[in-house]
Amino acid sequence: MSPALRKIVLPVGTFLSFLLGWQLLSEALDVPVYLLPSPLDIYEGGGKLGPAILSNTLETLKTILLGFVCACAVGIPLGVVVSVNRTISEMIYPLIVFLNAIPIIAIAPILVVIFGTDMTTRLIIVTLTCFFPIMVNTAAGMMDTPKEMLDLARVAGASRMGEILSVRLPSAIPFIFSGLRIGVTVAVVGAVVAEFVNANKGLGFLVTSSTAQFAIPTATACVVILAVISVVLYEAVNWAHRAFFGWSIKTKAGE
Amino acid sequence: MIHATPARAAHSEAEMPSGEPRREPIIELAHAGVIFATSKGDPLVAVEDMSLTIYREEIVSLVGPSGCGKSTVLRMLAGLQQPTSGDIWIGGGKTRRGFSEVAIVFQRPTLLPWLSVMDNVLYPVKVLQRPTKAHRSRAMELLELVGLQDMAERMPHELSGGMQQRASIARSLILDPKILLMDEPFGALDALTREDLQLDLLDIHAETRKTILLVTHSINEAVLLSDRVAVMSARPGRMQDLVEIDVPKPRGAESAARPDFLALSQRIRDDIFGPRTGRKGRRA
Ligand SMILES: Nc1ncnc2c1ncn2[C@@H]1O[C@H](COP(=O)(O)OP(=O)(O)OP(=O)(O)O)[C@@H](O)[C@H]1O
Ligand SMILES: [Mg+2]
Repeated sequence: MSPALRKIVLPVGTFLSFLLGWQLLSEALDVPVYLLPSPLDIYEGGGKLGPAILSNTLETLKTILLGFVCACAVGIPLGVVVSVNRTISEMIYPLIVFLNAIPIIAIAPILVVIFGTDMTTRLIIVTLTCFFPIMVNTAAGMMDTPKEMLDLARVAGASRMGEILSVRLPSAIPFIFSGLRIGVTVAVVGAVVAEFVNANKGLGFLVTSSTAQFAIPTATACVVILAVISVVLYEAVNWAHRAFFGWSIKTKAGE
Repeated sequence: MIHATPARAAHSEAEMPSGEPRREPIIELAHAGVIFATSKGDPLVAVEDMSLTIYREEIVSLVGPSGCGKSTVLRMLAGLQQPTSGDIWIGGGKTRRGFSEVAIVFQRPTLLPWLSVMDNVLYPVKVLQRPTKAHRSRAMELLELVGLQDMAERMPHELSGGMQQRASIARSLILDPKILLMDEPFGALDALTREDLQLDLLDIHAETRKTILLVTHSINEAVLLSDRVAVMSARPGRMQDLVEIDVPKPRGAESAARPDFLALSQRIRDDIFGPRTGRKGRRA
C-alpha cells in the first residue's frame, strides 16, 4: 500500500470498525435510544430534520467563520502589538489574560442581556473564545524571530515598522498558523455556546431544542455535524498554510 | 559612541606609513572595547583597547583565534553593537542609508526563507525603496557573478549552504556599498568555489574600489586579498599585530607561491601561535 493510501485507508478503517462495533453492541445490549443512540439511530434522527439541517448548518458555519475572522482581526494585531512594545504589553496583557480567564459559558447569558439576541452577540462570544490562542501564538512567533534576521534588517536600514513587516511578521507565520489551527476549533465551541444561550436557529440551538423534546438521536446528529465542521475547518487552515506559505513548512521539515 | 567626525584624525595621520600618497581614513576604532554582561555575573571582555584605522579603498583582514572578538568588531562597525569603551568613527555619507553605506555578509547566510533568491538579493533595496528595473538587472548580474543565475527564482531552502552564502554575498553588493564588512564569507564554501570567489572579490575591488573589512580563519586568504592584515590575540581580544601586505598586484592564485607571500603568512602564523619549531612550542 502506498503511504498516501495508507494515510486514508487506516484511519477510515478504524473509524468504520468503531461505528460497526458501536452499532452491533447497542443492538446486542438493547441500549435505549434516549441513553445512547446507535449510529443508525443518529442517522435517522438527522434525517428527520430534512432540509432544515442544511440551513441550520449554514447558519452555524456563518457564525463560526465570521467570529473566527473577527478573532483574527483582533488577535493577530494584538499579538503584534504586545510583542513589539513593552509598555503596551505590560499595560494590556494582564487585562487580556483576565478576559481569557472568564469562563465563556458563564458570561454568555450576561452578554445576551447586554448586547441583545442577534448575530453581534454571537460574534462577540465566538471572538472572545478563540482570539487568545491566535494572539499568544502571534506574539510568540514575533519574539522568536531569529536574531540574525533582525540584525540584517537593522544594517539594511529598516525602520521599526519595516522590521516588523519585512522580518518579524513573516517569520511568525508558522506560529500564527498554530494559533489559527487551535483558534478555528475553539471557534466551533464558541459558536455552539453562543447558540445555546441566544439563537432560534443553528446547530447549537437544534441540540438544545431537540434535547428538550427528548429527540436524542437528532441532537446527536447535530453534534456529529459540528465535529465534522471542526475537522474540516482545521484541515482548511492546514491547507491554506501549505498553499500560501509552503516555505514555512518546508524549512521546518528541512532542518 | 559613534562620532560624526574623526575622533582622532591627528593620531591616524601619524600612523600612516611615510612615502605613501595621502590616504583618507574611512573607519576608525580608537581604544574601542566591548564588555558583555554574562548570565553567570562576571563580565566577559570580548574586545579590549582595539585601535585600528582603515583607509578608503583598502582591504583589511581581521584574523585571530576563534572567539577573540572578530565578529564583535564587525558588529560594532555595522552599528549592531555599541562599544562599551573607546570610540568608533565611520566616514561616508551624513546619514547611514542601509546597505548603500555599510553592507555586511554575516558568518551564516541569513537569507529570509519566505523570499526567493532574487528577492533576497533585492531585500536591502526594498527596505529603502521600490526596486527598479535597474536594480533587478543588477541583482541578476550579481547572481551571475556568484554563479547562481539559474537559482534566481528558487527559495532559499532549496539551495545548499554554500549557495546560500553566495546569495548573501550577492545581496551585500546590491546597493554598491562604500564599506563592505564580511564575516568569514567563504568559510562555509568548498575549496574550489572559495578560490573562485576570492579572485572575484579582488576583481570587484579593482573595479569598484570598495573599502573591505574581511574576517577570515584562513591566513592564506588574508594575505592573498588584503592590503593589511590585523591580527587579534585571544581573549580578551586586542590588536596584536598589523601586517602590511606588499605582495604586488594584481594577485592571483600563483601569488601564493611567492617568497614574500610565504614570509608574510609565516609572520602572521607566528603572531597567532607564537614562534615555534614544532607543535611543542604551542603552550609558550
Ligand atoms: N551577545 C553576546 N553576549 C555575551 N557574550 C558574547 C556575545 N557575543 C559574543 N560574545 C562573546 O564574545 C567573544 C567574542 O565573540 P565573537 O563572536 O566576536 O568571536 P569571533 O572572533 O568572531 O569567533 P569565531 O572566529 O569563532 O567566529 C566570545 O567569547 C563570545 O562568547
Ligand atoms: Mg565570528
